[in-house]
Amino acid sequence: MDFAQAIIEATSDVFNTMVMLEAAPGAPATEKTTAFSDAISGILGFSGDIKGMLRINCPNQVAMAITGSLLGMEVEEIDDDVRDAIGEIANMVAGGLKIYFARHNQNIELSIPTAIGGQAYTVHSLANAEWVAVPFTLANGVMLVELQFVGLK
Amino acid sequence: MGKKVLIIDDSSTMRKIVTRSLRQAGLDFDTILEAGDGQEALQLLAKEGVDIILSDINMPNMDGIEFLRQKSANAAIKGIPVVMITTEAGADILAEAKSLGAKGSIKKPFTPEQVSETLGGLM
Amino acid sequence: MSWDTHIADATVEIFSTMLMMEVNPLAPLTERIKTHQKSVTGIVGMAGLYKGMLAIHAPATAAMAITGNFLGLEVDDVNDDVKDAMGELANMLAGSIKAKLSDNSKDIQLSIPSAVCGGSYSLDYQPQQGCSMVPFESTAGRFLVELQLEQQT
Repeated sequence: MDFAQAIIEATSDVFNTMVMLEAAPGAPATEKTTAFSDAISGILGFSGDIKGMLRINCPNQVAMAITGSLLGMEVEEIDDDVRDAIGEIANMVAGGLKIYFARHNQNIELSIPTAIGGQAYTVHSLANAEWVAVPFTLANGVMLVELQFVGLK
Repeated sequence: MGKKVLIIDDSSTMRKIVTRSLRQAGLDFDTILEAGDGQEALQLLAKEGVDIILSDINMPNMDGIEFLRQKSANAAIKGIPVVMITTEAGADILAEAKSLGAKGSIKKPFTPEQVSETLGGLM
Repeated sequence: MSWDTHIADATVEIFSTMLMMEVNPLAPLTERIKTHQKSVTGIVGMAGLYKGMLAIHAPATAAMAITGNFLGLEVDDVNDDVKDAMGELANMLAGSIKAKLSDNSKDIQLSIPSAVCGGSYSLDYQPQQGCSMVPFESTAGRFLVELQLEQQT
């Protein structure tokens, strides 16, 4: 199974239908990014045939642009709408991954999204998990969609 | 004459997203009412009539399935069409919703066109 | 539904068996703390019949002391060991709570854990029923265990 392709399909589907902003996928990242500044990360765990965690990391200005487009309003600060919107994006991308995995006979169940935000924070996953990340370039910054997982049979 | 829609979702952000989609779908609603769960929706419907309802499934207090059940038992509001909005509801839950009177479902992510197609035929 | 008792039981049990540490639950918080300063958070998603997440939040000093006990070594820096240990603790706590909620292990499944750390970061999610936050007192200092769990229809 091609996990980068799964990320690209699921993310592009959400951006093409709901967000209506151009988000161009780049080549999968080769080095882990763990430190984020002035950013929001929407995270969502999943389990089943594949256990893992999805993380969508957005610089604040990208998160505000996504929220503005999603809600159809001007967004000028990081508020509850932005945090909820990034959580909802994680939820929808995870829903797309679930469908992609099911096509490859791997069934997963989703947890609920959490939005992490701050001026400077790091996010770290278990060292022995596999990791795939795809950057998406938007008009005002780069969003990184990461998938960390174990247990693919 | 302008129509009224009721959006039931525990996320206020999601209610805003649905509102934006209705607007972009070109659906001309005069009034958009919102409720945070099934119970709030039933209380609102006791006072105010609406033309169509869009409802989430997983919600605290009263979820979308229980809302459908109680609504179908209430002759005054039984006839209002309900469309479910879901992220990953299985076929079993959607079948249950249908058996309780739901007229359709929209799966997230959705385009304004999908919203307009699903709702268009019901109004 | 409140998960206070499950959180208290699971935390006391895991700390006494795995870390040989006595911890005392304090009164559950009536309002959740969402911003954490100079802290480490271990977080794991839960999926299936119940959906949600479990998080353990500890100030950096407490996280280092807990990790020291957990791994049986001196820790004087928030290094990868501390992040792994906090993630693993979240995993164990969620596993213990899962066993209290259902006899069938397939009913609730855990994702892989992640750890977040930083000078100031926040965690947000859609407020649902069944969200609890319990503070604990220990020789390592105070820490918080948070559980958000909703039963699925």
